[in-house]
Amino acid sequence: MLLTSSMLKIDQEETKQKISRFIKDYVTKTKTKGIVLGMSGGIDSSTNAGLTALSIGGNRTYGLLMFEKETRNKMDVDHALQVVKQFKIRTIIIDITKLLGTIYKSIPDFLESDFKTKGNIKARARMLLLYYYANSKNLIVSASSDKSETMIGYYTKHGDIAADIAPQQDLYKTQIRRLAEHIGVPDEIIEKPSTPALWPDQTAEQEIGMPYEKLDLILCGLEHFMETSQIAEQLSVPAKTVESIKKRWLETEHKRRMPLSPKLAFRTVGKDFRLPYDVTVE
Amino acid sequence: MVNQIKVALAQMSCKVGDKTHNIRAMATYIKKAKKQKADVILFPELSVTGYVTKDRTYELAETIPGPSTKKIEKLAKENQIHVIHGMIEKSAKAKGIVYNTAVLTSPYGVIGQYRKMYLPTHSVFEEKRYFRQGYETPMFDTPIGKVGIIICYDIFFPEIARLLRLKGTEIIACISASPSVRRNYFEILTAARALENTAYVAYVNLVGIEDGLQFWGGSRVIAPNGQIIAQAKYDEEDLILGTIDYTDIPRTETFVPTLRDLRPELFNELSDLSKKL
Repeated sequence: MLLTSSMLKIDQEETKQKISRFIKDYVTKTKTKGIVLGMSGGIDSSTNAGLTALSIGGNRTYGLLMFEKETRNKMDVDHALQVVKQFKIRTIIIDITKLLGTIYKSIPDFLESDFKTKGNIKARARMLLLYYYANSKNLIVSASSDKSETMIGYYTKHGDIAADIAPQQDLYKTQIRRLAEHIGVPDEIIEKPSTPALWPDQTAEQEIGMPYEKLDLILCGLEHFMETSQIAEQLSVPAKTVESIKKRWLETEHKRRMPLSPKLAFRTVGKDFRLPYDVTVE
Repeated sequence: MVNQIKVALAQMSCKVGDKTHNIRAMATYIKKAKKQKADVILFPELSVTGYVTKDRTYELAETIPGPSTKKIEKLAKENQIHVIHGMIEKSAKAKGIVYNTAVLTSPYGVIGQYRKMYLPTHSVFEEKRYFRQGYETPMFDTPIGKVGIIICYDIFFPEIARLLRLKGTEIIACISASPSVRRNYFEILTAARALENTAYVAYVNLVGIEDGLQFWGGSRVIAPNGQIIAQAKYDEEDLILGTIDYTDIPRTETFVPTLRDLRPELFNELSDLSKKL
């Protein structure tokens, strides 16, 4: 197998159709009124919002803009609002600065300097608000996660990935860029550096340590059971780089699963209790 | 002996676990097909229950004969049509043993069944976790022709189709629940099985979404020369009909003489080597 960018080529229209059918089908089967998702002005949430609106209509798509003072920047707010306008999405704007302040103050041992833990609170606070609206309006929460970040665990556990569905989670970041182009997400959003916006000036590629073009090919190789040495050779990167990505992927499996529990009984939740999503009991 | 038949492919979506709903949907398709003078109608793999039944597989299983086959027998009789459908079959001898089965029913009752031989247990598939594999490849000599049945992943193994053909099968019915990422494989393999065996292939696939798996439809009737003579839509419910002309088979057998040119001695070697892989 040759690891080149053509491995990541997608049929944009077919992919759009598959995701649209998936979204529509899930909303219909769950008899819910629509979908709520967080919108940051970044590529993932803009694409997810656009796809959702194209699938079930903008009037059934609720975009929550949950900015806060530490990471808010005008460009991201403008981008989110641009997408909202373009796809005619229902919008709820919440400044979560006060909410976060209350949480920080309520934690007896809160460490302001622990910016990662503090950043995770932000992602989980957003989840809390998304589920508030999901519960009160009978909506599905949709995560905007992509395959690159999900595979390496680059997200907050029970935070930005906590959702009922994740329509684009099987697409690498570079594939989401192609899909975003196809559905008309503005170029400025596609081209700007990705950020989880957990602390000021955070950028994803800087933290991950390589561009998504490279990361996605490494992950694609791992997905296809390639050995790390093969991947390194083909991509002309040090074997250590590929191994570190593989390690990150393996070590973050706990983020992608149900909580681990000891096997004590006949059938166990999260292990050998396997039930279908679609439920009809005659 | 019949020369021509009309085969209908009912590309339906199923409600997982809702046998009443699914059989009702099958009844609607049967009536529509009969109106268009179909002699036989095919439904997808596990069409009575839906495909992704996981641990509910056991509670949804039924013996043959059983409540579902009785309902389908009634529909076949009322509409004077043959029906091939998929269901979870419970062994009459061991209640915890289940099969992924296709049933052939005539207007006079169940003719017989085929139990899937190759159970995919890789990627998103976990059939061996639940089902016991089948051991027989019956050829059914019926008023609509000599019918052999295979189920979905069976088509990847040319041996079954070849066996059926060597037993005299003229039409290989393949009922399927194939998700969309596998479309290319099935489009190639359905044509290959027809051409290499100089037999008709009637392929019916599921549509709809179950557990995030999207089934692509694309049901088709393929002539012994590999030509697609009827093709259903992708990704949505559809009913198509194709006319099968059995008199075309001898003509193709001479033009593409794969059966004439069979080399039996290779089968022994295949048998030996497949044990040593």
